[in-house]
Amino acid sequence: MLRMDGFTYRHATSWAHALELWSAHPDARYVAGGTDLLPNVKHGIFKPRTLVGLSGIAGGVELRDDSVKIGAATRLADLAEHPDVQRLLGPLATAAALVASPQIRAMATLGGNILLDTRCLYYNQTESWRQALGYCLKAEGTWCHVIGGPKTCVASQSSDTVPVLLALDAKLHLLGPSGAREVAIRDLYRFNGMDHLAIEPSELLTDVVVPRPGAGFRGSYQKLRTRDSIDFPQLGVAVCGEWAGDTATRLEIVIGAASPQPKPLRGLEAFLGRPLDDAAVLEIAALAHKQTRPQDSVHGGAAWRRQMAAVFVRRALTALRNG
Amino acid sequence: MKALLDLRVNGEGVRVAVPEAWTLLEALRYAAGLTGTKQGCDKGDCGACTVLVDGKPTLSCLTLAHAVRGEVTTIEGVAGPDGPDPVQRAFDVCGALQCGFCQPGMILSAKALLSRCPQPTDGEIREALSGNLCRCTGYTKIFEAVRLAAAGCERQVPVRYGEPAPGFLVVGARGRKADSIAKATGETLYTDDIQLPRMAHGKILRSPHAHARILSIDTSAADALPGVFATMTGADVPTAYCIIPWTPDETALAVGKVRYVGEGVAAVAAVDEETANRALALIRVEYELLPIVADAAAAVAPGAPLVHELDWKGRPWESNVCKDVDLSFGDVPAGFAAADEVVEGRWFYEGSNHAAIEPHCAIGRWSQDGGLTVWSATQVSHYLHRELAKVLGLRGEDVRVIQPALGGAFGGKSEPFDLEFCVAVLARKAGRPVKILYTREEVFYAHRGRHPMDMAFKVAGTKDGRITAVESDILIDGGAYHSFGLVTTYYAGQLLTGPVGFESYRFRSRRVYTNKPCCGPKRGHGSVQPRFAFECALDELADRLGLDPLEMRRRNVVGAGERTVNGQLVTSSGALACLDAVELASGWKSRRGKLGRGRGLGVATSMYISGTAYPIYPNDMPQSGVLLRADRSGKITIFCGANDIGQGSDGMLAYVISEETGIAPDDITVVSGDTELTPVDLGSYSSRVTFMCGIAAQEAGADLGAKMKAAVAAKWELPVERVRITFGAVVDSEDAGRRVTTRDALILAEAAAGTPLSAVGGYRTRKVGGDYRGGTIGASPAYSATAHVCEVSVDEETGIVRVERVWAAHDCGRALNPQIVEGQIEGSVYMGYAEAIMEAHTFDERGLHTGPNLLDYRIPTSKECPDFLASIVESIDPGGPYGAKEAGEGPLHPIIPAIANAIADAVGVRLRRIPFTPDRVLAAIREARA
Repeated sequence: MLRMDGFTYRHATSWAHALELWSAHPDARYVAGGTDLLPNVKHGIFKPRTLVGLSGIAGGVELRDDSVKIGAATRLADLAEHPDVQRLLGPLATAAALVASPQIRAMATLGGNILLDTRCLYYNQTESWRQALGYCLKAEGTWCHVIGGPKTCVASQSSDTVPVLLALDAKLHLLGPSGAREVAIRDLYRFNGMDHLAIEPSELLTDVVVPRPGAGFRGSYQKLRTRDSIDFPQLGVAVCGEWAGDTATRLEIVIGAASPQPKPLRGLEAFLGRPLDDAAVLEIAALAHKQTRPQDSVHGGAAWRRQMAAVFVRRALTALRNG
Repeated sequence: MKALLDLRVNGEGVRVAVPEAWTLLEALRYAAGLTGTKQGCDKGDCGACTVLVDGKPTLSCLTLAHAVRGEVTTIEGVAGPDGPDPVQRAFDVCGALQCGFCQPGMILSAKALLSRCPQPTDGEIREALSGNLCRCTGYTKIFEAVRLAAAGCERQVPVRYGEPAPGFLVVGARGRKADSIAKATGETLYTDDIQLPRMAHGKILRSPHAHARILSIDTSAADALPGVFATMTGADVPTAYCIIPWTPDETALAVGKVRYVGEGVAAVAAVDEETANRALALIRVEYELLPIVADAAAAVAPGAPLVHELDWKGRPWESNVCKDVDLSFGDVPAGFAAADEVVEGRWFYEGSNHAAIEPHCAIGRWSQDGGLTVWSATQVSHYLHRELAKVLGLRGEDVRVIQPALGGAFGGKSEPFDLEFCVAVLARKAGRPVKILYTREEVFYAHRGRHPMDMAFKVAGTKDGRITAVESDILIDGGAYHSFGLVTTYYAGQLLTGPVGFESYRFRSRRVYTNKPCCGPKRGHGSVQPRFAFECALDELADRLGLDPLEMRRRNVVGAGERTVNGQLVTSSGALACLDAVELASGWKSRRGKLGRGRGLGVATSMYISGTAYPIYPNDMPQSGVLLRADRSGKITIFCGANDIGQGSDGMLAYVISEETGIAPDDITVVSGDTELTPVDLGSYSSRVTFMCGIAAQEAGADLGAKMKAAVAAKWELPVERVRITFGAVVDSEDAGRRVTTRDALILAEAAAGTPLSAVGGYRTRKVGGDYRGGTIGASPAYSATAHVCEVSVDEETGIVRVERVWAAHDCGRALNPQIVEGQIEGSVYMGYAEAIMEAHTFDERGLHTGPNLLDYRIPTSKECPDFLASIVESIDPGGPYGAKEAGEGPLHPIIPAIANAIADAVGVRLRRIPFTPDRVLAAIREARA
C-alpha cells in the first residue's frame, strides 16, 4: 500500500482556528475532503510537515436576494442534491453530481474542487514512476513531457464545477492572515500549470457567492470522460445563458479540462439578441473549436478533445435554445 | 508521531495509537483489527475501502484517521445480533459475491443507498455503486442483490433453493457459494488480513530503467537504518525459475541486468512499511544504461539489442524471438485456390492487465526446525511450492504453501512472483515473519497479463459458406521473460479451430522478448487475440459472400465426435444450440441490419479447453486429488489442493460430494490450497478445476457414498442395491418409509468400519491431442463452446461506442450450479467488454508504463457496463463430472469481435485494433466517408 509519512495533523474547528493553526506552522497545508491532496501526498509530490484539517468546518447554502452563498466546505454531494441549487443553479448541481464517484462527492468540498491542483499524466504518478521518468517541470524536474519543452507546464485544470462557476460569474471569499478579500473566480486562474492559482498558501477559501441568474436562465454542463463515474473530465463544457425563446440575451460558454486555465469563449456578444438558428450555432461551435487548444496532459487525445468541444457546444446550444 | 485516536466504530468506542499520517483504512485494518475493510488501489480509485461515516459512503484510504469525528460503520458492523443483514443475505442468495474482495465496500454503498432510498430504480442502483469497482461479476448479480434487498430478503434461506436437474440430488440446483456469508460479513481472511506476531514488513526496490546492466548495489546505508531487520539482492537467490520448467529465464530479483521498469533489484524488511520505504531510498544501485527494445516490431528489427544474451543452458540467443511455432494442417494452398473470396488483413490486440482488486501479498515464516511456510495470494499453490523449494534449495517437505482467500486472480496470480521468494529470504535473515504487499503500481509491473499481438490473417470461403483455408502470422509481444510463453505461442494458433471449423490451416506465431513487464496467462490465455482477428475476418468474409454471418458460422460448426483440423477431439458440442439461443434472444433475423444508422448487432463464437490435458511438469501421478474425512458429526471435510480464486471451486467440490453422499452442501467443509494438508491439485488455471477436481471428487464421493449404503444395507439386512441415497437420507428404494438420515448413515458406516471414515479420488491424465510436435498443447479432455450477440450504439459525432446489451450463450456441458455458471459467463463477458472498449496496458518509448494505477488504467464501473444476458447450454460431456465442462474463460472471447462486428453493422466501419476508443472510431468513420 502507498503509505504517507512524516506529517502531523491539526484539526481546525473554524476558519479562524484554521488560520491560527497555519500561523503556528507556516509550512502547513490545508486539507478539506482530502480527495485531491492525499493522493498527491501518497505520490510524494507534496511532503508536508503539517496538515491543517478543515473537515470540522460546516458548509451550507444560503439564499440571498441577489445571490446564492455557498460555504466552501459544502460537500459536493450536498451541493448536487440541494433543492435550491438544483432550482436556481441547475448546471452547478449537474457539474457537482458528475464529479468522480459517490464516495468522493460525499467527502470532497466545493472549495477543494475550485482549488484542485492541476492534473497531468506525467505528474499524478508515484514517486518511483516519476523518478523513472526523470520527473517533470511541475514537480522536481525541468522538462514538460507533454509539449516537450523546459518553460511551460500545461497540466490541466480538471474541476467540473469551475467552468460553471465561471459562466455564472461567481465571486470567491478568501481569508488570510491579513484579512478577508473577494476575488472573481474569473481572475483566480493563470495559464501556468505549475502555479495556476492566484492565491496565497496561507489563504482559505471560505465562501462562494454566485449571482442569481436573471429571467430566462437556462444552462448546462457536459462532461467528456471514458467511464460514467470516477474519471476526471477530459473536457468540460459549461453553457449558461438568459433566453427569450431561442434568443439569448446573455451567453457564457466556458471550456474546462483543456489547459491550466478554464477557457471562457470570446466573441459571443455578436450572437446576442438574435435567434440562434442552426447557422449561428455552428458558428459558435466553430469558435469553440478555434479557441480550445487541449493538451495531451490528460486522457483522450488532444485533437479529438478539440473536436468534441465543438460538438458539445453545438449540442448544448441546440438543446438550450429550444428550452 | 503516533498519537492516541478515539473512534466510534460500529457503535463501540475504539482507542488505538496510530501515526498522524495514517488513514482511517490503516487504523481500522492494522490497529483496530477490523480487516473486513479492504484495500485495492492505494488512493481512492477502486472503492474497496469504503466505510460509512455518519451513514455516508466514505473512502477510508483518503480519510485521515485523526480527522474522523463521526460514527464509523465497517462491514463487521453491518450484521446484527440476528445474523447477517438483509443486504448481506441478498448478496449471498443472488450469487453476487465471487472473490468477495470488493464486496464489503459494495455492501456498504448498497446499505447507504437503501437507507436513503428504500426502493431505488435500476439507474439509482448503478449510480450508487459506481464508485465500487468489481472485477469478477460484471455487476449483474450485484444489481439483482440490491433489488432483492430492496424488496425484502428473508433472513433465512434454504441451503438448496433451486430444483436440481432430473435424477440428481443437488446438481443443477441454483445454490449459494460455500463462502459467501463469510465474505459478505467481512469474516474471510485474505493474505493481507493475516498479522503474525513479530511480523516485519518488506518492500522491494524496483528498477527505474527498462534495460540496464547492474554495476553495483550498496545496501549498507539501508542496513544501518534503525528499524531495518534485513536486506537482500538478487545475489541471495540467483537460481533461475519459470512456471514452465523448460524455460527458466527469471530470477527472484534481477541478477546482472534489469529488463523492465519496475523489475525488482533489492528488498528490505523493517519494523513497518514506512521504515522499509525509507530504507529503499538509501540503497545505491549503479546502472549502465542499455538501448531498449520497446515493442515487438523493434524486437525483430535487424540489429535489435538483445533482451537476453544467454538462455538457461548458457547458449547465446541470436535474436529476441524466444519461441517460434509454425504448423500446418490440411492442404492450405488448395483451400485458398478453392475459395470464392479471401479476406486478408492485420489486426492488433492491445495488452491488458487482470486488475484483480486484491493486490498480490505474501507472508513468509520459518519455524525453528527449518521449515518454511508461505501464505500467498496465489492460484497455483502446488507450483509455487515446487519453485520455492527449487530456488531456495530446500527439500519439498520443508516448504508449506497456504493460499488464504483470494481477492481475484484471472491468471494474474498463476506463477511465482518476486515477493514470494523475498518474504522467504527476508524472513530467514530477519529471524521473524515478513509480509510484502504490492502497491497497485507493482501489480502492473508483476503483470503476466494479455500479450499484445500483431496478427496477419487470411480467411478464405466459398459461396456456399464453407471456410476452406485460414492462415495466420502472429507476432507476440512477450515482455522481459518467458512465463507461460511457450504455451501462449502454441495457444495463439491451436485454440482457434472450433467451434467454427475450417478445412485447412496454417499458423505461424512468434513470441519475442521486449523490455516491458512480462506478459502471461490472462483469462482466455493466448486465444482471445487471434479469436478477435478471426471472427472479424469471418464476418467480413460472410459479408462479401452475401451470407448471414451467424448462418455461416452455423454451417461450419465442428460437431460432437468430430475432430478439428488440428486434430483435437470434440467430445461434446453445444455450439449450434448456443447460436440458436443468441439468434432467438437477440431477434437477430428481424433486427440485424435494420436498427438504423448508429445501431447494430454483431455475432461471434469461441471454443475453450476444460483444462490443459497434461501437467506442466511431466509425471504419472494424478493431476487432482481429493481426500474426504467423515465421522459421526454428520459432516464431511473435503481436502483438495485446488485454489478457490473466487470462481467457486470450493463450492463445486461441496456440490459434488453432496450429490454423492446426500449430505447438504452447508454441512460440508472444504480445506483447499494448503500444500501440507491437502492432496495435490495442480491449481486454478486453464479452466481445469471443475472438470478435473470434479472427477476426483466424484470418485471420492462415490466411495464414501458406497460405504454409507453398505452400512445401512447391512443394518437392514438388505442387498445394497436396494439402498439409495437421497438428499439428507439413505432410503430403502422399495419402502419409502424406511430411511435413516445421512448423519445416521455415517454413524453406521463408522461403526462398521471400525475406523474413521475416509475416501479418496483422483483425476488421472487422459491421452488426448494430435500426434505431432505441439499436438498436446491445446489438447483438452473437453471443449466448451460459446456464442455471443451484442447490440451497440455508435455516436457518429463523438465516436463513442456504447454496448447496450450482450446475449451470451455458453455450453458448459452441465451446469452443476447454474447460478455460479451464470456468474462466470457474466464476469467473462464483462472482462472482454472492458478490453474491447477501454483497457490498454501500454508503455512509452522509454519502456515506462503509461499509468500503472486504477485511475489511468480504467476498468468499467457499474454505470457504463451493459446488460449481460447469460444463457446456459448443456451438451452433457461424456467425460466430464456429470457432463460438466468449463465456464470461466470461453465466454470472454467472443465479445470483443462481436462488438467490432456490431460496430460494422451500425456504422459500416471495421475496426482492427482494440480498444475501440472514440477517437479511433471517429477517425475510422471519417475515413470511410472520405
